[in-house]
Amino acid sequence: MGSTLAEKLLARHAGLPQVRAGDLVVAGVTFAMVHDARAPNTIRMVEKMGAKSLPFAHKTAWVLDHFSPPPTIEAAQGHTAMRKFADEHGSVLYDIGDGICHQVLPEGGHLTCGDLIVGTDTHSVTYGAFNAFGTGIEGTDVSAVMATGKVWLRVPESVRVVLKGRLQPGVWAKDVTLHMLGKFGAEGLNYRAIEYVGSAVEAMEIDDRMTLCNHAAELGAKAALLEADGKTLAWLKAHGAKTPAPLSADADAHYADRFEIDTLQLAPQVARKHAVDDIVSAHEVIGQKINFALIGTCTNGRLDDIRQAAAVLKGKRVAKGVRMIITPASRQIYLAAAREGLIEALTEAGASVEAAGCGTCVGITNHLIPGDREVVISSANRNFQGRLGNHDADIWLGSAATVAASALTGFITDPRTVAGGQWEASHA
Amino acid sequence: MLDQAIHGRVYLLGDDVNTDLNCSGKYLPGKDEAFIAAQAFEAVAPGFAARFVQGSVIVAGKHFGINSSREQAVHILRRMGVAAIVAPSFGRQFFRNAINNGLPVVECDVSGIEEGDSIEVDMAGQKVGVASRQLTRPLGAVPEAIRAILREGGLIPFLKKYPDWKITA
Repeated sequence: MGSTLAEKLLARHAGLPQVRAGDLVVAGVTFAMVHDARAPNTIRMVEKMGAKSLPFAHKTAWVLDHFSPPPTIEAAQGHTAMRKFADEHGSVLYDIGDGICHQVLPEGGHLTCGDLIVGTDTHSVTYGAFNAFGTGIEGTDVSAVMATGKVWLRVPESVRVVLKGRLQPGVWAKDVTLHMLGKFGAEGLNYRAIEYVGSAVEAMEIDDRMTLCNHAAELGAKAALLEADGKTLAWLKAHGAKTPAPLSADADAHYADRFEIDTLQLAPQVARKHAVDDIVSAHEVIGQKINFALIGTCTNGRLDDIRQAAAVLKGKRVAKGVRMIITPASRQIYLAAAREGLIEALTEAGASVEAAGCGTCVGITNHLIPGDREVVISSANRNFQGRLGNHDADIWLGSAATVAASALTGFITDPRTVAGGQWEASHA
Repeated sequence: MLDQAIHGRVYLLGDDVNTDLNCSGKYLPGKDEAFIAAQAFEAVAPGFAARFVQGSVIVAGKHFGINSSREQAVHILRRMGVAAIVAPSFGRQFFRNAINNGLPVVECDVSGIEEGDSIEVDMAGQKVGVASRQLTRPLGAVPEAIRAILREGGLIPFLKKYPDWKITA
């Protein structure tokens, strides 16, 4: 019997001819990431370990993105400790405003096809968009990685999801995942590796593929993996990645489950307040008023997301009383958006564009605190009650196109019903 | 320690217990671990931490520890003296963190197990049992490396003893 993509990737890094779902492997890590919400714990664990040297610390990136900019003295001190650690151990440092960990790692050329990448964040599954096994770990694990170059992993069962057809204009990878959250429930694919294949995946640009893999974290996935194609290789080359060594699943691999989704039939989806898996089509809730719109985060803060927003809002104004924040996922994206005139168009439309980072997603920066009974429509990945600092406010989730269309009208809006809402990345 | 079975009193918790809300400093900034431990699970089980006796076993519903990747949640449970946690499933990162910090976590059907039962968790023997109810539940095989990490009290003490990850004993 053959191997799934997850089994192939983990066998390669464990130095074994073959591994099976359920096996425990000790695998060599290509590159690791520590962000500022986990760095203090990581530094404590390094101290507890008392290792004389950290020979693999230079293969880590330390990213200041959650507390960016730091809202407290404690957070600022944490950043000081991170800069010092990176200096002492030769780690790569991404400072405030450089961007979100899951964006700066691929942009910085730190990963390529066939790699094993671990990070102190559940959304480390993003790296699967590049045919790398990306998964989340914590401080103890990453301390061990810096000391030994290795991590223990249980080889996950895999689920093969075929995305048939092609997403219609105005429908995005975000809508695919929201649809799956409605179908399987939050954590519905807990521990599993999801392999996404099919014509709709092939048609997606890299930005949307990253959304697809990233948002699998809400399904509980341990990894979300794509095969590499010409787009993958061209993107990696353009970003200075090492020579790719892609892997693909065998035709006779064993899957715990297989699903097919006909993407032609898929409409823009939204998650209703408080639950990532309370999913309806946007057109079913068009009377729902919104007060705040957020486009950004590691899920949907990339250039194509900002282009979706600008396609809807250029030359228009957000609805009266609606506030809007755009947070590019990285400095590179911010610059690209500025050069394309998107920042200007969105600022003129009434949005506030803030420096790259992810603190606004999780209520750390306090840049977006809704009032009582106010409703936020956000391109983020989670909408737990109180996530933005007010338990009496609601957070809904949708694609960047849906968020922009909703900001324009002041109500949850199917982007396909407004001018520019059917903008397509491949036609850019 | 783990070659022997763990015996303890059962403390029940429900499904989808999110340790981020109940067992970490995320919503109690600036508070130390002792303070957080005293409030643990307060929102879903009032008085839980005050009732909990060191060396006891938490038996919980599905997805215990979801949404949280914070290792601190496990540090708090260790501080409370939790001997083991039994649940049908765990949040993935919580499961890792528990093992890395020497806290045994096992997956099995928990139906029929009640608050106050005397439970036996036998990882080597691959079973969980409540003798008074004649109830036995099978456990999947626990790989030797996991048992070794737990036996040493977590990943850091494990690597102090086996710096090349090779288990020689």
